[in-house]
Amino acid sequence: MDELLQFVITGITVGMIYALIALGFVLVWKSSGVANLALGQLVLISSWFTYGMLVQAGLPLWLGFPLVVLFALALGWIIERFVLRPLIAQPILSLITVTLGLAYFIEGVVTFIWPWSVDALPRLFPREPLHIGTAVVSQEYLWAAAISLVLFGLLSLYFKYNKMGIAMRATADDQMAVQACGIPVTKIFSRSWMFACVLAAVGGILMSSIGGITFGLVETGLKAFSVVILGGLNSFLGAIVAGPIIGLAENLGGGYLTPLTWPGVREVIPFIIIIIVMFLKPYGLFGEVRIERI
Amino acid sequence: MDLPAGIRNFSYATDMAIFRTKTHWALLLVLLVILFTAPLYWGNYWLGVANLIGITMIAAIGLNILLGYCGQLSIGHAGFIAVGAYTAAVLTNRLELPFLVGLISAGFTAGLIGLIFGIPSVRVKGFYLAITTIAAQFIIIWVINHWSSVTGGFTGISVPLASIGGFVFKSEASQFYLIMSIAVICTFFAKNLARTRVGRAFVAIRDNDLAAQVMGINLFRYKLLAFFIGCFLAGIAGSLLAHWIGFMNAEQFSLTESILYIGMIIIGGLGTTIGPILGVVFIRLLQQVLTVQVVPFLESTVALPAGFASGVTPMLFGLVIVLFLVLEPRGLAHRWALFKSAYRLWPFSY
Repeated sequence: MDELLQFVITGITVGMIYALIALGFVLVWKSSGVANLALGQLVLISSWFTYGMLVQAGLPLWLGFPLVVLFALALGWIIERFVLRPLIAQPILSLITVTLGLAYFIEGVVTFIWPWSVDALPRLFPREPLHIGTAVVSQEYLWAAAISLVLFGLLSLYFKYNKMGIAMRATADDQMAVQACGIPVTKIFSRSWMFACVLAAVGGILMSSIGGITFGLVETGLKAFSVVILGGLNSFLGAIVAGPIIGLAENLGGGYLTPLTWPGVREVIPFIIIIIVMFLKPYGLFGEVRIERI
Repeated sequence: MDLPAGIRNFSYATDMAIFRTKTHWALLLVLLVILFTAPLYWGNYWLGVANLIGITMIAAIGLNILLGYCGQLSIGHAGFIAVGAYTAAVLTNRLELPFLVGLISAGFTAGLIGLIFGIPSVRVKGFYLAITTIAAQFIIIWVINHWSSVTGGFTGISVPLASIGGFVFKSEASQFYLIMSIAVICTFFAKNLARTRVGRAFVAIRDNDLAAQVMGINLFRYKLLAFFIGCFLAGIAGSLLAHWIGFMNAEQFSLTESILYIGMIIIGGLGTTIGPILGVVFIRLLQQVLTVQVVPFLESTVALPAGFASGVTPMLFGLVIVLFLVLEPRGLAHRWALFKSAYRLWPFSY
């Protein structure tokens, strides 16, 4: 029983991090219609950058984190300005494959600068495990979930009250009308990429403070895709609901299915969910069904 | 389709012909003679490179039919190649079946697996399909790694040399003939496919699938057919790769390899026959030159950071893919067509 409780708590909290990363994807998809397949690599490079700031440069936390956020903002701006803006109004195929090229490039940069490929961040959260009922949960997970929740809250406030946030929602709704209102659409695109990179960076820091920095972070980004697919591509709510579901499925499945199947079944559960969703309900739980006209 | 000055076509058949002038035939003959006498004057090293290029070309032609003609994005191509490679490996190593049986069944197995993962393509496209095929890649590699009683798991599986009848393809040169013959047949097949009803249906689906459906094209059938053909060729390439390397390990079929295949097609030019050939030669030669010539040379002359050797190749490839998409989305094939029409009309500018 305590085993079950432990799986559930770990699953939900890890799922929150997935949801956070997935939110960055939904943001870019909604505003500019670009599918960002470099999500995992963005998570990877910002985790390594954090490592560079905190461990290699030895900066204190209060200086290191703002620098990481600045780095993520700059990264998002550069990607939008130099890779995606020249491709505005190109077919979706180019928009997807260009992010694949980007993913390849970022992976090269990471192996170039940090060739040892595995390392650990300094301890950010207290270590001692908490006892919830009969389950033993390490505090890091709870901290990660709390930070994700705070970020969800901040983002929804931003979209509700900030002028730019409202403009971003409007762009998601109808790009043409927004342009007619005189809102600079390219600025919105660039803003959404910057946000996506910051979300990926925060998700990366939380993930790597729990599990260390490895190439597995790329797969964390890929798992965020299963969150997006399950929740629906253009739904913030979908991402937030689907994240914990994926986390739960992963942990419960990993816990109870491993004796029945092969070891490592945990790693493929998100991908199997993708295939199942594709067969049953391709537009996800909360996604908008696209009606096409010729 | 510009012809040399002074040449006109007077019937549909001559207009649609692949080889329209005597020069065409002569050039084709010269090319084939050069290709098949290459082992006489190339060293073993370059023959090895050529073999890798030939195998990659077969897989890339498959992906080009799927992505370039039919417009169905597949980011799991390396996974489908792995299916073919492991089918051939298991059949020839564990069951000791002949090479040709392994080759054909590798194609069909990969094709069938492709069909299964291609079914969602009927309802979704674009990003959804990309994610489905990424998931396919991961599931395939996971199964290969863990079904160790059959595939050898993480330790891998050894594959015997290819042999037809009593003849064993032992040397690089004999394998070169085997691989290049199949590559030439596949190129010819792809070129002809594009001219048939099926090929035209693929192009119609790529350009606007809804309009294609309204015109009476059975989307379900043709999309799945494209998946089958694309993955069948991937399986054939996988089987050849298995026999050529002699040892299979799932690490050879990573997601980055899949991305590289898409990069090759884009650099070469989507939906053209010459595109995959140019793209594959470009990428594989760049890979060889970088890892064998440039990096060791730089390492011996200048002190380099430790990650240079492993990092520079993906960095450069990623950059090349992005630059091609931004600056020349029609790929090298378009440049080649420009060059052809320029020399045909020379010395007149138009």
